[in-house]
Amino acid sequence: MDPASPKRLSEEAGPIRFNPADYFTFVLDQEIRDAGMPGGYCGFVLELGGEPDLESLQRRLDLLLERFPRASARLEKRGKRYFWIPTGRRILLERHRCSDGDSLRIILEIFNRKPSSVEPMPLSLHWIAGEVGGLLLLNWIHPLLDARGGKILLDFLGSNQPEAFRESPSLIEEKLSQWSLWKKIRFFFKAKSHNEQANSLDSSLPTAAEQGKQSLRFKVRRYDAAETQRISRLAQQTTGLAGKTLYYIGCFMRAMEQAQVPVAKEGYCVPYAFNLRRQNAPTPVFGNHVSCLFARATRSQVGDRDGLFAHLLAQYRQTVQEELDFAYLPLMWLGQWLSPARYAKLLRKQKSGGELSSAWFSDIGDLRWGKEGFLGVPVDGLFTLCWMTLPPGLALLIGQSNGQLTLSYSYLHPAVDESWLERVMKRMDAELLETVA
Amino acid sequence: MKAALKKFIFAELIYHEAPDRFGEDDDLLEAGLDSMGIMRLIMFAEKEFGVTLPDTEIEPDNVRSLNALEKWIQQARSA
Repeated sequence: MDPASPKRLSEEAGPIRFNPADYFTFVLDQEIRDAGMPGGYCGFVLELGGEPDLESLQRRLDLLLERFPRASARLEKRGKRYFWIPTGRRILLERHRCSDGDSLRIILEIFNRKPSSVEPMPLSLHWIAGEVGGLLLLNWIHPLLDARGGKILLDFLGSNQPEAFRESPSLIEEKLSQWSLWKKIRFFFKAKSHNEQANSLDSSLPTAAEQGKQSLRFKVRRYDAAETQRISRLAQQTTGLAGKTLYYIGCFMRAMEQAQVPVAKEGYCVPYAFNLRRQNAPTPVFGNHVSCLFARATRSQVGDRDGLFAHLLAQYRQTVQEELDFAYLPLMWLGQWLSPARYAKLLRKQKSGGELSSAWFSDIGDLRWGKEGFLGVPVDGLFTLCWMTLPPGLALLIGQSNGQLTLSYSYLHPAVDESWLERVMKRMDAELLETVA
Repeated sequence: MKAALKKFIFAELIYHEAPDRFGEDDDLLEAGLDSMGIMRLIMFAEKEFGVTLPDTEIEPDNVRSLNALEKWIQQARSA
């Protein structure tokens, strides 16, 4: 065997322990599986204007496995902790041809297939060829990496300097190691009270369903450059330069409310990630490096557009001021010793046992591929998708590239009523573009 | 002040191959400073320099560069 072959390197790599955020996403993955769905799989889709050199892409996949053995690994529980055990199994670029022009259907088939019971791959890459160009889908399971990691991984696959990308320690554990025991304890109690506050409001939900056979579907709404600029300008006027993500969340709360949310309770809670990764950093590639923040509002607050944005901004300012973003880290660290079910009950669900999240939400921001595109091919657009727990059965995933904003709505069918979602999307347009009557 | 701001920005918010070569007038927004980062930067500045930076003044012109940030913080101090 070639001494530098992926198999040999992965044998040398040894087990890789979950970091606290990996375990948090694993808890979600288990909930999704327990409800009869495939698991916490996510997708990052690049819409390419031409076909990249697929042989070169395969070589990059081989290099990925050589440099990052965790890319092909199986999950294993040792004691109370979970680990990735590298297997060295080659990741083969899966090629699909779309004969009927409906390449999105192929993405759904990939997402809705049952993972193989024999050592399922945590990561796969698919080229879906269209008539001109095609879609490149990176499909991975959430405990392996977060969405920002997905972008970095795609950068690695398309980079002229792959050596710049390297494995590095968990940013969460690095942060925790900088704090004294007392600071960790103080943060733990802060986070606990933050969690209790978030729990104090019963969350409205997009569906009453809690079980039953579901499939994943998604709808993508693309905004052209002029619309994107308008949204950006309105966001700045409404929530300021520091609150663009809150503008999307506030508009989304209002859209759900105006479309008559199917399970109307006291208010809305939209958790979102606080990313510890630095912008544009090529490392770490793998692992989840996020903490959790909550955007919460009562239904009456949601009814007053200006008041809602002021409230969300003040709430966010207070969160950062009181370091509640960092406070979540010791809580997640301790949670690693709880079983997934107990973790969900104690730290994720509402006291009533109800679901905290009115919807899943992610904003990956403004992504750039530069003039070279991806392996020399222009990137015309992107969108993301993911499985989620039921309820809420709905996720809003936001991204921007080439100055064009894309909103991707992933949802569970039949749990979420599609005609309701269509109404939400229309209201979302009106809220984002401020064409509200 | 600029040294402390620069240290925080490149340690916590933005990756740059050579922060030493990042100029005081170079564009932080172009370099990747996003909305969440801006809020963290403002909170850092308020705590570090004992000022209150009003929400209404969070504008691109005030956070675009290290020089702009310093000017904004000094104005808030003397207000």
